[in-house]
Amino acid sequence: MEELKQKLKEQIIEALNLQDTRPEDIKDDAPLFGEGLGLDSIDSLELMVLLERSYHIKVEDPREGRKILQSVQSMAEFIKSKQPA
Amino acid sequence: MAERVFITGMGMITAIGDDVAGNLRSLRSQQSGLGFTSHLDTIYKTILPVAEVKYTTQQLSEMAGVAGIDGYTRTTLLGLIAMREALAQAGITDVQQEPTGFINASTVGGMCDTENVYFDIVDPEKTGDFLKFIDTLDCADCTQRIADTVGITEHIATISTACSSSANALMYGARLIRAGLTRRVICGGTEALTRFTLNGFNSLKNIDKRPCRPFDQQRNGLNLGEGAAYMVLESESLVRENNSKVIAELSGYANTNEAFHPTSPSPEGDGAFAAMRDALAMSGRTIADVQYVNVHGTATLSNDVSEGKALQRLFGTTVPPFSSTKPFTGHTLAAAGAIEAIYSVLAIQNELVFPNLNFTEGMEELYITPETQLKEGYPVHHVISNSFGFGGNNASLMISKYEG
Amino acid sequence: MAAISPQHTFEGDLSVQPMVISSGNMLSCVEPDYKAFIPGNSLRRMSRILKIGLTTALRCLQDSGIETPGAIVTGTGKGSLQDTEKFIKEILDYKETALNPTPFIQSTYNAVNGLIALQQKCTQYNNTFVHRGFSFENALLDSMLLLHEGKENVLAGAFEEITAEHFYIKSRVGQWKSEDISNDTLYQHFSPGTISGEGAAFFVLGPEATANTYAELAGLKMLYKPSQEKLAASLQTFLQSHEEIDMVLTGRNADINYDRYYQVVDQQLSGIPQLPFKHLCGEYDTAGAFALWLGAQLLKTQQLPLQWFPMQHQTPAKLRNILIYNNFFGEQHVFMLLKGI
Repeated sequence: MEELKQKLKEQIIEALNLQDTRPEDIKDDAPLFGEGLGLDSIDSLELMVLLERSYHIKVEDPREGRKILQSVQSMAEFIKSKQPA
Repeated sequence: MAERVFITGMGMITAIGDDVAGNLRSLRSQQSGLGFTSHLDTIYKTILPVAEVKYTTQQLSEMAGVAGIDGYTRTTLLGLIAMREALAQAGITDVQQEPTGFINASTVGGMCDTENVYFDIVDPEKTGDFLKFIDTLDCADCTQRIADTVGITEHIATISTACSSSANALMYGARLIRAGLTRRVICGGTEALTRFTLNGFNSLKNIDKRPCRPFDQQRNGLNLGEGAAYMVLESESLVRENNSKVIAELSGYANTNEAFHPTSPSPEGDGAFAAMRDALAMSGRTIADVQYVNVHGTATLSNDVSEGKALQRLFGTTVPPFSSTKPFTGHTLAAAGAIEAIYSVLAIQNELVFPNLNFTEGMEELYITPETQLKEGYPVHHVISNSFGFGGNNASLMISKYEG
Repeated sequence: MAAISPQHTFEGDLSVQPMVISSGNMLSCVEPDYKAFIPGNSLRRMSRILKIGLTTALRCLQDSGIETPGAIVTGTGKGSLQDTEKFIKEILDYKETALNPTPFIQSTYNAVNGLIALQQKCTQYNNTFVHRGFSFENALLDSMLLLHEGKENVLAGAFEEITAEHFYIKSRVGQWKSEDISNDTLYQHFSPGTISGEGAAFFVLGPEATANTYAELAGLKMLYKPSQEKLAASLQTFLQSHEEIDMVLTGRNADINYDRYYQVVDQQLSGIPQLPFKHLCGEYDTAGAFALWLGAQLLKTQQLPLQWFPMQHQTPAKLRNILIYNNFFGEQHVFMLLKGI
């Protein structure tokens, strides 16, 4: 899980081109949108693309997407839940 | 005092009709043009509904009278067919008799054809027939092809403001007339379905897999469409001089910007509200004079909230009948503004209000609901037609019955 | 006004800026540090021409002292080529699945306009023209209409980029010279094709001159595919209502295919000094905006940056009226008349 979260942080920084952010700046449960990293709705679409391209998980409903993409923690948990144990 | 601007000709082709009369027939009989594509090469062929013009590009070239001549993209051909009808309806046989401008609108130019040969074009190993599509990559190509084919040499321009493009083309043309720079200008837009735009809107997750449901609580995005529409605009003095038949008056218009987000409107519909308010003010009318609003109504989550809020803000508790005709034609992007401007004229001419198809449940954010039945024998004197797009571009047109 | 171009046009005193010389027939912009203009959080997603266009517009507004203009009108022939190319490629590579929306959003031609409006909170009139060599000129005409209709000021501009891929595409239809030349020697290579370029230029236009005004745009005429006779006649009509021309800024680009139109202007205005500018910016849809920027600069400073014009040995004694003539591959022809204040 820790490994997955670390990887996710690196992938988020790369996918969204967060130039001045380091993986350690992103807290596991800090909100990614609004106050947290200051991401917006287009970033959320890009993060869904990240899930699809890197983890082969397709999120169809944007409303569902918002829940999954709350934080690195919620993303990691969602990925885990979709992968075979 | 600036001259009034009259509409003296109209031409169109969409998924629901090859000409203006055909469109009116389908609107009246509530025939939607939505279905699955037979011309577009995409993995979404049987997944995402579109409103496609039911002819092959070859057939379109015959209808446009240019069969066998190279370099006409589907975008150009749709435009040319609509242009010829508009000229004929306005009784123009020689565009050179009166200096005539052409303000066209396009969002992706000839992408419909270039996207199929693009990787050949950029491959130095390949050569052949596809090289003729190099010039069709940009938006000016279709405009110039249409102009050259019908002989227009005067003021020429192409506008691209996403989904409000052709509403802005009509506005720019009207302003050229009012400034006295021209007495006649043909304005509108043309759009062909492309894999590029289909995937673009799909990547934004705002295409519905079912026929779109504007202003419905369960709406889940738009369906794309294709088509073209043009209006011949003439100054009052030219109309008097030629004793031309006036179809309707373009009595007001406004262009505003949301300055809110690259692809979403403001939740309270600030830009939409301002555009409608200003178009109405320009026409010298009040809210009580408006009998119908042809809304943008894409059925995306954000557009309909924003536009609905704007309608409620402008009209309060007396919102006139309104409907989105996108369940008929799909969202035709650059052509939408002109297609819906023609529908607004048809509403006036035929005393009709078109139904908003696929509506069942009102939105929780709004107290208004769209018109769901065809209203016949309903006197319509003034219509507001809305077109809103990416980049926060909003445009509203006020179209009025000609009463001398 | 402000310009980002293949030359050092963005800031500072032009008279001390050397001419940027490059070979390969493709001139690229000298890009500034965008961070001074655009917040990092917005910057991270933007492609190159969006940054170039937005930054030029913001610098222009700074220069004019106006924060929120009364309208924003732009022209671009090709919009963001980089984003268009990227999205076409991703559709192929990812087989139409899992696509990032950003290149699609940024490929729309009005993306730059939307960004300017967004950053400056400008909720008023906003329009984008996309018609090759008439893109910027229609934006100017639209702006002049807006001023006539009572707007206090308008931000008008143009932006264009060239990419390696698009350069190659247009080489297949012979737009560029087949021999590799250096831009400072452009006019010595009179042959088919020219050199490509790019750039952005923005202007704040107002109805009256102020202390900050660079120049007056006194005339604008667009001609679509004119014959040489019609071009000559139109030039005569255009100049009739104006005084003597001190200098012609000419779009001449050493392309043998379309030089005949420039010869028409030579004949009509023989004896009037001509200054070419395409060796500085290259050829592109909205190069007319670079010419307008350069002309206005010359009128304000009454000084030619002579190091940019090796063909010219001195600044004309007086610069009052400048005629700009440009055409884009023989199709769209434009006259502009600029007057000093």
